[in-house]
Amino acid sequence: MGKIIQLDDLLSNKIAAGEVVERPASVVKELVENAIDANSTIIEIEVEEAGLSKIRIIDNGDGIEESDVLMAFRRHATSKIKNEKDLFRIRTLGFRGEALPSIASVSRLELKTSTGEEGTRLVLAGGHLEVHEKASARKGTDIQITDLFYNTPARLKYMKTVHTELGNITDIVNRLALSHPEVSFRLVHNDRKLLHTNGNGDVRQVLASIYGLNIVKKMIPIQASSLDFTISGWLAYPEITRASRNYITTMVNGRFIKNYPLVKAIQEGYHTLLPIGRFPIVMINIEMDPILVDVNVHPSKMEVRFSKEAELNQLVAQTIKEAFHTKELIPTGMQREPKEMIRTEQPSFDLDHLPIAKEEQPPIEYELPEIEPYSPPVQIPFVQKMERIVEKRQEDPIVPSFSETVVEEVEETPAPIESRVPPLYPIGQMHGTYIFAQNEKGLYIIDQHAAQERIKYEYFREKVGQVEKELQEMLVPLTFEYSSDETIKIMEHKDKLEEVGVFLEPFGINSFIVRSHPQWFPKGEEKETIEEMIEQILTMKKVDIKKLREEAAIMMSCKGSIKANHYLQTSEIQALLDELRRSSDPFTCPHGRPIIIHYSSYDMEKMFKRVM
Amino acid sequence: MRFIIQRDRLVQSVQDVMKAVTSRTTIPILTGIKIVATNEGVTLTGSDSDISIESYIPKEEAGDEIVEIKQTGSIVLQAKFFSEIVKKLPTDFVEMEVQNQLQVVIRSGKSEFNLNGLDPEEYPRLPQVEEENAFEIPTDLLKALVRQTVFAVSTSETRPVLTGVNWKVENGELICIATDSHRLALRKAKIEIETAHNYNVVIPGKSLNELSKILDDNNELVEIVITENQVLFKAKHLLFFSRLLEGNYPDTSRLIPAESKTEVIVNTKDFLHAIDRASLLAREGRNNVVRLATLESKGIEISSNTPEIGKVIEELVAQSIDGEELKISFSAKYVMDALKTLEGHEIKISFTGAMRPFLIRPLNDDSLLQLILPVRTY
Repeated sequence: MGKIIQLDDLLSNKIAAGEVVERPASVVKELVENAIDANSTIIEIEVEEAGLSKIRIIDNGDGIEESDVLMAFRRHATSKIKNEKDLFRIRTLGFRGEALPSIASVSRLELKTSTGEEGTRLVLAGGHLEVHEKASARKGTDIQITDLFYNTPARLKYMKTVHTELGNITDIVNRLALSHPEVSFRLVHNDRKLLHTNGNGDVRQVLASIYGLNIVKKMIPIQASSLDFTISGWLAYPEITRASRNYITTMVNGRFIKNYPLVKAIQEGYHTLLPIGRFPIVMINIEMDPILVDVNVHPSKMEVRFSKEAELNQLVAQTIKEAFHTKELIPTGMQREPKEMIRTEQPSFDLDHLPIAKEEQPPIEYELPEIEPYSPPVQIPFVQKMERIVEKRQEDPIVPSFSETVVEEVEETPAPIESRVPPLYPIGQMHGTYIFAQNEKGLYIIDQHAAQERIKYEYFREKVGQVEKELQEMLVPLTFEYSSDETIKIMEHKDKLEEVGVFLEPFGINSFIVRSHPQWFPKGEEKETIEEMIEQILTMKKVDIKKLREEAAIMMSCKGSIKANHYLQTSEIQALLDELRRSSDPFTCPHGRPIIIHYSSYDMEKMFKRVM
Repeated sequence: MRFIIQRDRLVQSVQDVMKAVTSRTTIPILTGIKIVATNEGVTLTGSDSDISIESYIPKEEAGDEIVEIKQTGSIVLQAKFFSEIVKKLPTDFVEMEVQNQLQVVIRSGKSEFNLNGLDPEEYPRLPQVEEENAFEIPTDLLKALVRQTVFAVSTSETRPVLTGVNWKVENGELICIATDSHRLALRKAKIEIETAHNYNVVIPGKSLNELSKILDDNNELVEIVITENQVLFKAKHLLFFSRLLEGNYPDTSRLIPAESKTEVIVNTKDFLHAIDRASLLAREGRNNVVRLATLESKGIEISSNTPEIGKVIEELVAQSIDGEELKISFSAKYVMDALKTLEGHEIKISFTGAMRPFLIRPLNDDSLLQLILPVRTY
C-alpha cells in the first residue's frame, strides 16, 4: 500500500489557517473584507481581549442564502470568482475561498445570516458543525468568533500582549476604513469605542477620525494619472512627521497593500523635505486595470506584484514632488486650536510684484459650449457655467496633457516657478544664528545655516552631476561578480554604464573587470562607487550620477555655508533672503530640517492676548 | 586696465587684503579682490563686510619703479585663485590686462593665465570715514594693546557686544577692555590727543586679530579714526576698516576689586610652567581646573586631581606672600592666557577670598591687569 494519502479537509484547513489566520488581526481583516465584498454600508466590529476571547462582526450586507451557508465553509468555495479568467480581473477583496474554513477550523464560530428572508444560524467548533438551524435574523451577516486558537496551542503561545494584538487590529481596521470611506465602520474593544467613521464617502473625515482633525487640516489632496494608473490620495505637510513608516497607507483598487518599492517612491517624493529617520503621513490609492496587478502572491493578499512597477513608482514620486512644489511650506510656530474663526482680511497692494506691462488676455467667452444646444442657458447656475468655461480652457491644446513622457521630462527642465517664499524684510539676527524677518503677514524666523545650505545644495546638486569625461587607468583592474540574472540585466544596460565612463569587460562567467575608472571617483572608493552604479542599473535601469553624489553635494553645501554664531550685516541678510526666495525648495535644508518658521500677526496678537 | 608690477609687492598686498576675504559669505562678489589701477598706482581691496582692507601700491617708491601703468581701469578677481596664482608666478614681474567682457590675462615670463573677472561696479563701496579727530599710536604699541586684551573676548554671539574689545579714550588715555564674563583683560596707554575728545566704542575681536596679523613689527605711527559705526586704521599704504559693534559695553570698573586679602608675588615663567604642568592632568577632567593653596613656608602649592587618571602636586617658592591663607581653584586656561600677556619678570596676584575674582598684574606696572573668576568647587 502506498504511503501517500490525501489529507482530510479538516486537516488541510488547519494547515491553510497557518498562513491565513496568523493572529486575531487577520481574522478581523478576512471577515471585514467579506463584509465589504457583500456590499455592506455599516460594519460593526466588536472585540474582546484583543480578539482572543471574542471577535464579532456585524454587517448589513447581502447575507448568505440558506442553501449556500454550508458550502461557504468548504475549502476553496467562493462566490467572488467563477472561472480562470476572473482570477486576473479581481475586483473583490477576497477570492481564494480559504478564509472562512480556515478561521472555523481554529476557533468556535457562530454565524447568523439572512438575505432578507428567513435566516440561518450555524455553530461550528474547530471546524465541526454543531448546530444548523433556521433562525430569525436581520438582513446581513453576524459572525462571532470565540476562543480563537483554542485547538492550536502552538499558535496561541506565540500571541503577543493584548496591546500589540489590539494595535494590529486597529491598524487593519483603520486601513480598511481608509480604503472604504463609503462604509461606516465601528470598532469596539471591551465596550470602548476605538473608531467610528460615518461612511459618507469623504476620505478626509475618515482621516480625521483616525489621525485627528489637526493633522487632516495639514493634508493636501493629490491627483495624477498616466495611461495605466490613476493616483489619488492625501499627503501631510512635511512639517508633520512620524517615526515609522506605519503612517503610510498604500492601496490598489481599494485594497490595502504593503509594497516596499512603493513606499520608497513615496519617500523619494518627500526627499529632502523630511528629517532623517522621520516619515510622512500619506494615504494613497492607485486605480489600475486589475490585469496589471497580481494579488495572488500570499493568502493574506497584503503583498502584490505590479506589472509596470518602475513607471508607477516614478509617477508616485513625481506627483508628490509636484504637489509640494507649488505650496508654501512654512510651518507656523504656534499650535493653532482647531477652532474655526471668521476672519476678515483687508487685501493690500502687492507692491513687490507690480506688473510692468500686462499681456493682453484673450477675452473669456461667456457663452455655452455648442455641444449642448438644448439646455436653455437660464437654467444653468452661473458657477457651473464658469466651471465649464474653465474646463474648456483647460482642454486648450497649449496645455501639455499628462503622459508618461512628460513626467520624465519635468525633472530636467524645471519650469520657472514663482518664488514660494513671500518677500521678507530683515529685522535682525539673534545669537548670530537665527535671522528675524517680517512682512505684512507676520514674523519669520530663519535658520541662516540651513538657508544657505539649501541654496548651495541646489547649486552643487547640479554641479556634481556634471562630471568630466576623464578616465584614470588602473594597474590592477577591479573585478566584480554578479549572479546570472543580474549579469543578464547588466549586459542589457551596459551602454548606460559606458556613457558615464565605466567600461565592463566580461571576465569569465558572471564576472566583469574594469580597467579604468572616471577621474572624479572618490579616492579609495572606486569599487564601491561602481558597485553602487550597477545597483542603480539593476533597480532603476539607469545611472543617476546626481543621486550617486548627492551625499557629496550635501557635504559640500554644508561646509561652504556660513555657520551658526556668525554675525551678518543687514545687507548680507537681505542677500541671503533674496537668494533663498530664488531656490526651488526653500523650506527644508538637505537634511530635512526646517529653514523658516512663521508667526502670523494673528499668532503674535494671540500670544500677547491682544485678541482672545 | 593694463599694468606691469613687481611680483613681490603684489604678493604682499594680495596677502594683506586676503585677510578680509572669506569663502563663506552670502554676497558672492565678496569672495573676490577688487583691483583698481590709477595713474598714481594700484589699489587692492578685500572685504567681508565686517572688515575691509585696502592695500595701496604706489607707482614708485624711493626712486624705484614698482608699477608701470599702461592703462587705468578696475576689475574684481576670485580671491582664492588670484592669490594662489600670483604666489606661484615664475618671474619677478607680472603683467595684468583686462580684455573684453571682464576677461583678465595675467602674464609672467612665459606663463599666461586667463581668468574670468567680475564686474567691479557690483563691488560694495568702502565706508566713507571723516578724518577729523584722529589720533596716532606706534605700531608696536598697537599690537601689544591688541595682544594683551583680544584673547579675552567672547566667541559666542549670544551677547554680541562681548565679542569685541571696548576702546575708551578719556583724558588723553586709551583704555582697552575685553571680557567673556569669566575673565577680563584691561590695558591702558597714554596717547597724544586733545583731552576734549572722548570715545567709547567696541571693536570686534576678530577685526583686531586680523589687524594685528597684517601690521609689521615697527614703531611707525598708525593713525586711528573712530566714527559712529566704523573704525579706520591707517598705516603706510594700508587702510583697515572695521565695523563697530552696536550696543553698550557693560561698565566693568566696578568688577575690579580695589583691595585684597592675600597678595602673592611670584616669578612669571615659573608660575606659568607650573600651571601648565598641572593642567596636563586637569585637561581630561571637565573644567580644566587647577587648585592653588598658600603654604606656611612662604610657598604656594599647585595641584590637580582627576581620579581616573591621577594627580599632580607642585610646590613653588613665592617671592612674598602677604595676608590670609588661601585655597582657590581656577581654570588653567584662563590663567595661562593671562600670564602669557605679561611681559615683566615678576607678577603680583591679588586674591580676595576663594570665591572672589582675583587680579594678576605685572609688578610695579598699573597699565595692564588681568581679572579672573575662580571656579567654585563643592
